[in-house]
Amino acid sequence: MSLEQQILQYLITGVTVGSIYALIGMGFNIIYNSTEIINFAQGEFVMLGGLLTVTGMKVLHLPLPFAALMAVIAVAFIGVLFDVLAIRPLKDASPITLIIITIGASIFFRGIASLLWGKEPYPIPAFSGEDPIPFFGAVIQPQSLWVMGITVLIVLGLRQFFNRTIIGKAMLASAFQPRAARLVGIDTRFMILISFGLSGFVGAAAGIVIAPISMTQYDIGIMIGLKGFCAAIIGGLGNFWGVVLGGVTLGVLESLGAGLISSGYKDAIAFGILLIMLFFRPQGILGKGKEDRV
Amino acid sequence: MIKTAPLLRTEDLSRHFGGVKALSRLDLAVSEGLIQAVIGPNGAGKTTLFNVISGVLSETSGKVFFKEEEITGLPTHAIARRGVTRTFQNLQLFSEMTVLENVMVGMHLRSRGGFFASAFKFPWVLREEKRIREESLRWLDFVGMDEFFYQTAGSLPFGKQRILEMARALALQPSLLMLDEPAAGLNIRETEEMAGLILRIRESGITVLLVEHDMDLVMGISDQVTVVDQGSKIAEGVPETVRNDDKVLKAYLGEE
Amino acid sequence: MKGVSFIRNPYTGFSVFTLALLLLPLAVTNDYYLNVLIFIGIHSIIAIGLDLLMGYTGQISLGHAAFFGLGGYISGVLSAKMGWAALAGLPFSILGVGLIAWIIGVPTLKLHGHYLAMATLGFGIIVFIFFNELVPLTGGPSGLTGIKGVSFMGFTFDSDLKYYFLVVFALLLSLFLSINVVRSRVGRALRAIHGSEVASSVLGVNVPRFKVAIFVLSAVYAALAGWLYAHYITFLSPSSFGFLFSVKLVTMVVIGSLGSIWGGIFGAALLTSLPEFLYIFEKYETTVFGLILVIVMIFMPKGLLRGLEDLALRTLASRKRRVGDQG
Repeated sequence: MSLEQQILQYLITGVTVGSIYALIGMGFNIIYNSTEIINFAQGEFVMLGGLLTVTGMKVLHLPLPFAALMAVIAVAFIGVLFDVLAIRPLKDASPITLIIITIGASIFFRGIASLLWGKEPYPIPAFSGEDPIPFFGAVIQPQSLWVMGITVLIVLGLRQFFNRTIIGKAMLASAFQPRAARLVGIDTRFMILISFGLSGFVGAAAGIVIAPISMTQYDIGIMIGLKGFCAAIIGGLGNFWGVVLGGVTLGVLESLGAGLISSGYKDAIAFGILLIMLFFRPQGILGKGKEDRV
Repeated sequence: MIKTAPLLRTEDLSRHFGGVKALSRLDLAVSEGLIQAVIGPNGAGKTTLFNVISGVLSETSGKVFFKEEEITGLPTHAIARRGVTRTFQNLQLFSEMTVLENVMVGMHLRSRGGFFASAFKFPWVLREEKRIREESLRWLDFVGMDEFFYQTAGSLPFGKQRILEMARALALQPSLLMLDEPAAGLNIRETEEMAGLILRIRESGITVLLVEHDMDLVMGISDQVTVVDQGSKIAEGVPETVRNDDKVLKAYLGEE
Repeated sequence: MKGVSFIRNPYTGFSVFTLALLLLPLAVTNDYYLNVLIFIGIHSIIAIGLDLLMGYTGQISLGHAAFFGLGGYISGVLSAKMGWAALAGLPFSILGVGLIAWIIGVPTLKLHGHYLAMATLGFGIIVFIFFNELVPLTGGPSGLTGIKGVSFMGFTFDSDLKYYFLVVFALLLSLFLSINVVRSRVGRALRAIHGSEVASSVLGVNVPRFKVAIFVLSAVYAALAGWLYAHYITFLSPSSFGFLFSVKLVTMVVIGSLGSIWGGIFGAALLTSLPEFLYIFEKYETTVFGLILVIVMIFMPKGLLRGLEDLALRTLASRKRRVGDQG
């Protein structure tokens, strides 16, 4: 493979992984926008999505699409439960308390996962086979196309949801101006509930669609969750298109760095970019304040 | 009477927020030893003025001079070091610290003792601590607070909190004290006490720059009044003059 | 109430604590428990420093394991690779970590809230990756062996009991210095920053410099702890210095009680000994740990020490009221 072809290959990997970071970052943004909380347990939604799908297929013998659907709904429900049990009691808590709670919850979810599924990795079959598709000298895994496609679908779907549906607009209103929203009859607590459910849904979807490529395991949530959060910050915390841009940028830079420089330092690249953004432009690439949310 | 240079002077000071011009080429001068009030309709940029002068907010253009030395763009603590401090419209007390400790923080610049000396309890640090404590108590006495010393500042009634913030600022012994709506939220009796306190502050040699909405207070104690509307000065003079100025009336009525 | 002030005077507590620590080995003769106590001591030193940063100054660090590791590795590498004595490595650990903390601290402490948390987290992970990747220097994932123990003028700390007293000395020194800093002009400035950064600034407190200074100080505490750790175990592995340990450190301070001098020690003691009690349930350790975190934060957000203190005061107050009613 020539250098150009290698770079193209890294780009493909980068966009694939970056899509996942974007989806996970989107989950962070949805909760951040409605509550100003950073949900460190977001990564565990990703993990649970994958593992529950595996259970759906192995234990309940469901075909993949149904297992995936079941998993996504289950994780959305777990998100809602999480809000009710752990977040709602603490609406006025200090930022540190909230950070500790979501970190504690993520540790708890991880512990439960290790008890239920053990510590080994589990595969999920690729959605449409594994024959690589040639592409200008590089190859694309069909699953990569699924990842990118589903990401686009979810991103556009969320855009429609927040801009066109009553509930979506109500959620945005609650995020922007909670008091005004309450005055016009919007139940902000319900909006927050939905945002947790939605966040769980999106996280689980990300976990399921990437599992055929990178396997799923009780502790994949940590790193991937943090990188999703990096994507959100790089693009501008709370910013809809920002997280997409941030995720893809992060994925591509990480992939190029790992391929061209060194793979051992791959994770350092992601956090190095994060530090650079935080030091020089903490509002992110597209962030300017509270303008374009979700 | 010899005309000396003003203690504080802004030159063409502007501060924009996107399209909004909170301050627009404002020239303000504060003479030493006076109580000067800045008034104007809501949104006229008065708190922004304080924020820019004290270094909390940066200016878009223009300059600020204190004792004829430029202080534009200096960090807030450096400006405080020069002798300018302020209170806050929405109170910025150290709520978890005691009343006495709040005032002791005011003594920060007038005392010494860094990490090393404090960690190893050098004798001179202990003596400094005693001095800081005694002087803080004197400032509490000056503002008329003779109890609550060991209560947390956050648990005080609102009126007393306002007075505490004054004592804290006074402990710095500034040349210029900027008061941001000191009477906001006070009842009539408390406002009168506040007025008396501000007069006593002037008597002690501190220049006062005051932003206020309470017209009785402003007209009652100010030596000079500057009227600001939409970020620029529209009138200035002694209270009686300003009170009857057409431009001023229009600015206020126009608001309604 | 004179009695209360005696109880609340930290030097009283300090003296009692010192006495307790010195006499403890009489009650604890089992080497295994002594080992646990040594770890509690080491973790307590980090916790005290972290509490100065988080509890008093109101900042947050999710990457303090990095400073702990750097303190250990700097002296460890000097010892294992260049044959240096442990005590010769100590100033390098302290100064090295101090310098690194200062360099990273200046841009980092300009951030607030979640951004600050993420920056410290990112830094911690980057350092962890370097521990793993710089194999010729650190031994990589398989670890660094051959670190010497501590000896001073012919006397070697070669038993658990002797090392216990070394750790106790370091802990008492750290504690003493912290108590003094907290009760001084510096301590007030830190707490003022926590209360209101803008008000502190207008009163002349150099907020950026103080924040960086306390960050560096807390890093130095962690470095000292790292040094003690490295020369006790004589072996270092990067896995001890990852994100999860940083989280554990923050947990110790928060659960212990932020902003109370003893909170960090209490939290360190609790969280270091807990796995020992739960060792039968090792499988469940993670789950239980996470659950405890969430539950304590919901019901006692100010931490266990403060929460228990409040509970005790309220019980005393209600008992007094009842007696008053009857009188």
